[in-house]
Amino acid sequence: MPRISSSAAAESSPLASSEYVLQVRNVSKAFPGVQALDNVSFDLKPGEVHVLLGENGAGKSTLMKIIAGAYLPDAGEILIDGQPAANLTPRKAQELGVGIIYQEFNLIPFLNVAENIFIDQLPTRQLIRLDHKTAHRKAREILASLNMEVPTHALAVELSTAQQQIVEVAKALTHNSRILIMDEPTASLTDREIEQLFMTIRELKSKGIGIIYISHRLREMKEIGDRVTVLRDGRYVGTHNLSEVTVDSLVTMMVGREIDLLYEHDEVSLGEEVLRVEGLSSKATGLRDVSMNLRRGEIVGLAGLVGSGRTELARAIFNADRHDEGRIIIFGKESKGKTPKDSVRNRIALLPEDRKRQGLALILSVAENVLSASLDKVFPRGWVDQRKQKSLSDEYIKILRIATPSGARITRDLSGGNQQKVVIAKWLATGSEIFIFDEPTRGIDVGAKCEIYGFMNHLKKNNCAVLMISSELPEVIGMSDRIFVMREGTIVAEVSRGEATQEKIISYAMDAAPERPANSGTDQNPARADPGK
Amino acid sequence: MSPLKTLLDIPKIFWVNVALIVAFSLISSRYMTILNAINIMQQGAVLLVITAAMTIVILSEGLDLSLGAVMTMAGVVSVLALGAGLPVPVAILAGVLSGTFLGAITGTLIAFCKMSPFIATLGMQGVIFGFTLALTHSKAIFTDNANFILIGSRIGRYVPLAAILCGIIFLSVWATLHHTKFGRYVIAIGGNESGAHLSGINTTFWKWFVYVFAGTVTAMGGIILAARLEVADPIVGVGWEFDAIAATVLGGTSLTTGRGDVSGSFLGVLLIMLLRNGMNVVGTPPIWQPALMGTIIIFAIAFQVSTTMREEAGR
Repeated sequence: MPRISSSAAAESSPLASSEYVLQVRNVSKAFPGVQALDNVSFDLKPGEVHVLLGENGAGKSTLMKIIAGAYLPDAGEILIDGQPAANLTPRKAQELGVGIIYQEFNLIPFLNVAENIFIDQLPTRQLIRLDHKTAHRKAREILASLNMEVPTHALAVELSTAQQQIVEVAKALTHNSRILIMDEPTASLTDREIEQLFMTIRELKSKGIGIIYISHRLREMKEIGDRVTVLRDGRYVGTHNLSEVTVDSLVTMMVGREIDLLYEHDEVSLGEEVLRVEGLSSKATGLRDVSMNLRRGEIVGLAGLVGSGRTELARAIFNADRHDEGRIIIFGKESKGKTPKDSVRNRIALLPEDRKRQGLALILSVAENVLSASLDKVFPRGWVDQRKQKSLSDEYIKILRIATPSGARITRDLSGGNQQKVVIAKWLATGSEIFIFDEPTRGIDVGAKCEIYGFMNHLKKNNCAVLMISSELPEVIGMSDRIFVMREGTIVAEVSRGEATQEKIISYAMDAAPERPANSGTDQNPARADPGK
Repeated sequence: MSPLKTLLDIPKIFWVNVALIVAFSLISSRYMTILNAINIMQQGAVLLVITAAMTIVILSEGLDLSLGAVMTMAGVVSVLALGAGLPVPVAILAGVLSGTFLGAITGTLIAFCKMSPFIATLGMQGVIFGFTLALTHSKAIFTDNANFILIGSRIGRYVPLAAILCGIIFLSVWATLHHTKFGRYVIAIGGNESGAHLSGINTTFWKWFVYVFAGTVTAMGGIILAARLEVADPIVGVGWEFDAIAATVLGGTSLTTGRGDVSGSFLGVLLIMLLRNGMNVVGTPPIWQPALMGTIIIFAIAFQVSTTMREEAGR
């Protein structure tokens, strides 16, 4: 008997551990009302980037959290280096070499970089006294091994998003992680920062670390990934080498249907000018001499790198921030508004990037959210008539096809795409005609994206005007009739639909446009067409 | 760093303190004396200790409204122990441990039973106050044990022993915050609890420990106060927690973000003590002192908080 078991172990374990650093076998997990994962398998080799792909709600996050020990699976098993790892906790997973970089900010804002990197293993001497020097030295070493420079004395709040991610990577490395899970690491990075992140990822690969990479950006994963596993509705769809599949076939696998036209575009005859911004400047937000316009029946894209002032411009138009100089003309009249409330009255809608915090009250019901910006209008006497609220909100739920059992459902329980639809419904209910979308499809699955594009077009055809901020160039180019490109707080170019290419927009956004004259900063909008025409 | 920048980095509250000192010394010639300074130190010492404990709790994004009651209870326990004939070190230890014990209960309610700190500590405040009344039959208990009284007294005219002891406790709390894992975890839990948890920190345990620590430190303050007053008064601690919260916020600690420092709280305590002492010295009628005090604190907090918020908005 002993002979048999030892030989069996000798056969299976070294083989398994050399080929796969992680194996997930037939894992299932249910939450009240949802089968989040149903018999899903997944594996990871050392030194590879294995992309986990699926729409929101496909089960990626659940699987990731199970691997990281945040959830326990109902069925199935997890093997790390060929050894079963049962009853994982976050701590135990970490000890076994699982590192995870969550999409949400997980650093401690008022601790410095070194403390954040070593948060759970702060070096001490003399019993309990912290050894700050060693922490900083080791932190610098780790950052240097990634070829990255981040000041180790800086507080986490002072870092850029890209720097924060580097700190997260460094933090994962302190545990000698051999499995690193990255959840949408590029979601809020600029293209240049993404390049930097990819360099870091290649560095990690060369160290033999296996990376589970979750992203919605298909093209980007073709660039960085080796294999891809697709999940749909909590089920395993398939695993492929990324070099052997096309983006289109991945989309098909994810949604299980052909998406032949992701971006809808219709020509609509242009109407009157509804918004005109002239020479807008603000010291506090860094806007400099911004001029642009928007007409009925068009979608205008606002492109640029993160931090180029796009959101700031949107907020200024909406009166969410004050400006020092310049004029905002709405429906032909100079806006005297000072607060967002005035903007709502002026029929402007702002759909913010951070919809969970700025666009919605997550703990309120869908119906309450839908009517939250139009209470004055719908219930002028101040008494909220529940029946009217229900019938009105049900109408919008139907129009926008919001997937919710009823209007009474708490908004927090909806998926990202459906939450975004609630935000749209909220502004439809106010009777707005100028819609400003700030990153409308960020973190939203392909299916919901399509629907949101459909609504933008619907608005356009119904004589409304849409201003769309987006970091996804295909989206900007695919949806917009015109595109303004921003850089460093000002608009540097206006590009028509016909002449828009990714290269062109990127080059304006990154100050690499070839036709830019090499003179001083007096002429800030060199490449810019006259917006009035 | 330029000298001007360094000057601007000094918290605003520091200048409020300077302004108060200048104002009071202009009003009264009896104000600027060494003895009055020592008075302020002796009177403010215990508040400094409780504020340090409160600051730790608030930095962890918690709150402890029971600290005033814990302080009272610790004094009562020590004095009762002395009355029972126990030696001074044992009596002091009993007092301190009473604070540890009460903190452990409070911490259990908050960390393990997941109660809101406001509700849990408001309840504990009532419970502890009730037990103190019961233990003392709601009467002040005097002590004449010279060795015990010594820790709260001043040696000669110029050596304020209570202030020195409280200063040492305060510095220990500061060092705990900056130089121990526990201290860093306090900032971590206050700044991003889920992030701390996902980083592998046992947030539940450390949250519990925050209240144990605060209770223990506060009890030390309570014992020093009983020694200074030579009496364990069952109502002596009423309202102290609010002074401690005010001093913490005055010192620039945020109630919600894990931002702040014990060192700021020192300036907060100083402001409260300067006001209290100054109003007495310049002869403000006692009935008007609380109203005046409250008003000035509100303005000072508004002044301080506006700066804090602007800095946070600028990030």
